[in-house]
Amino acid sequence: MTTAAAADILVVTDLKKYFPIRTGVLSRISGYVKAVDGVSFSIKPGETFALVGESGCGKSTTGRTILRLYDATSGDVQYNGEDVLGASRERMRKLRKSMQIVFQDPYSALNPRMTVGASIGEILKVHRIAAGKEIRERVEEVLVRCGLEAYHSWRYPHEFSGGQRQRVVIARALALDPQFIVADEPISALDVSIQSQIINLLEDLQDAYDLTYLFISHDLSVVRHMADRVGVMYLGKLVELAPKRQFYKEPLHPYSQALLSAIPVSDPSIKKKRIILKGDVPSPANPPAGCPFHTRCPYLMDVCRSVTPELMRAESGTEVACHLVHPIT
Amino acid sequence: MQATDIKAASLMPRKKTSEFKEVTRHLIKNRAAVAGLVIIGVFILASLFAPVFATHDPLRTELGNRLQPPTREHILGTDELGRDLFSRMLYGGRISLNIGIISVIIGLTFGVPIGAVSGYFGGKLDIFTQRFIDIMIAFPGILLAIVIVTVLGVGVENVMIATGIASVPIYARLVRGSVLAIKEQSYVDAAHAAGLGDIRIIFRQIIPNCLAPIIVQSTFQIATSILWAAGLGFLGLGAQAPTPEWGAILSNGRAYIRTAHHLTTYPGLAILFMVLGFNLVGDGLRDALDPKTR
Repeated sequence: MTTAAAADILVVTDLKKYFPIRTGVLSRISGYVKAVDGVSFSIKPGETFALVGESGCGKSTTGRTILRLYDATSGDVQYNGEDVLGASRERMRKLRKSMQIVFQDPYSALNPRMTVGASIGEILKVHRIAAGKEIRERVEEVLVRCGLEAYHSWRYPHEFSGGQRQRVVIARALALDPQFIVADEPISALDVSIQSQIINLLEDLQDAYDLTYLFISHDLSVVRHMADRVGVMYLGKLVELAPKRQFYKEPLHPYSQALLSAIPVSDPSIKKKRIILKGDVPSPANPPAGCPFHTRCPYLMDVCRSVTPELMRAESGTEVACHLVHPIT
Repeated sequence: MQATDIKAASLMPRKKTSEFKEVTRHLIKNRAAVAGLVIIGVFILASLFAPVFATHDPLRTELGNRLQPPTREHILGTDELGRDLFSRMLYGGRISLNIGIISVIIGLTFGVPIGAVSGYFGGKLDIFTQRFIDIMIAFPGILLAIVIVTVLGVGVENVMIATGIASVPIYARLVRGSVLAIKEQSYVDAAHAAGLGDIRIIFRQIIPNCLAPIIVQSTFQIATSILWAAGLGFLGLGAQAPTPEWGAILSNGRAYIRTAHHLTTYPGLAILFMVLGFNLVGDGLRDALDPKTR
């Protein structure tokens, strides 16, 4: 574990984020939404780690909690061997320089009252990366790097198209010269024709600046293209964690198999067996006992109802949390 | 989102005034708002140039000429001490406008930061502030102003402070509501992720985005403050004799309403039109600033 930690850029251990549910006049806490419930993974430098799962499974919350946009309930996040969740204000400000985020919706991610140049420039000023004239130059440099033009820095967000805005959002994240970027569904709000451009941009930037991505997505075909490793989340828990090739070749968790069977294939003559899951995702405020997936699993066994499976390594190298793969003896 | 016109797509950097221009364009298309602007403009000019337009010294008494109805000499007649009503009303307009504007400035300087901090940080601080504001809002504004004037003492300056303080809770509540909505936007998260401080986020990211309701409320609040001040003047808590103030003139004229109705009619109409003017502009601004009604 210690040797692995030294090589990893980000190590997340047993991260939990519970949102309290408040009811009544005195807003007493009557329960918790377990958005992230004990997630552990690590990311190597230069790698793209994809978190996938359907909406509400806690993948975005995981990304945001790692960056301390939400306060974690418990757990540990090490970034380059440094404790993120316990970092002081001053220390955190320095850490934020190298950990950035790209948001899902480029329409709400930019302040409509500030020119793009002012938005990015302010960040540079606060971190004392540049001053005076250098700010303008640096802003223009990152805009150009992200496929925009230098004069775009004078424009307001409403003067851009969705794809251009997402380029601005990426430019803003890049301005601080980060090593690690959480890409929180960076393309799901964009037109399909623009999606590939943004994906290419993210890949170019990764090559040019040795970036490490935590790529959050529900689009498995994009993940197949981008990711090095894939983590599948369901109801706040990681249910499968595998290298990309292994994951797409041989998914072990029944949920992963169902997800993969839903990817459309571009050849209509291929008949694919689709696994249709029954029912809805249970509420994370009241998750089922035992395996979180047992209410919808086609291979339900008795043990699944009572014992929560742990994430364990299977023979193929995939880590999976399922009693089918790791029968309890 | 407005459709970008050809100019927006051109390669020239655009000027910063685009938003301002847009709002002005919509305001001018609105007839009621233009009427309001004209009314306010007339009152502002009359107040600015009161010494030029005044036909008499507003304070000079002429006991031989008491309670004269409007004549060529005295356009709006004279009051119970023979002072020229037209001149007194010109100077009175200065006081009313001053009270309206200064009380709004006071309300803004305290109400906006209180509301912004309360909404932004939330938690216990928010609960405490909001309950305190509940108590203040529970009193009608004019009553609150009366209480404050009673504590501070009568006089024009104290009326400004009192109406200003009475409008603080209104701003605080309004701004808090807007901040609650805006702080959930991802650009605020982005500012956090970029390591910007809370104070900077409040003043650079959040407050500029809730300016529209603040501007609209301010035009309405000028009208309300003028009305409150006239009320206080009417009750004898505002400007003291012989200062010409509309509410006070109205109050003094009340005794002669059967014999010399011009002493109540004209100040009453002046208050009515000034308040109407600001309200019309406020309505127009609300529509012009809201992208949905454009």
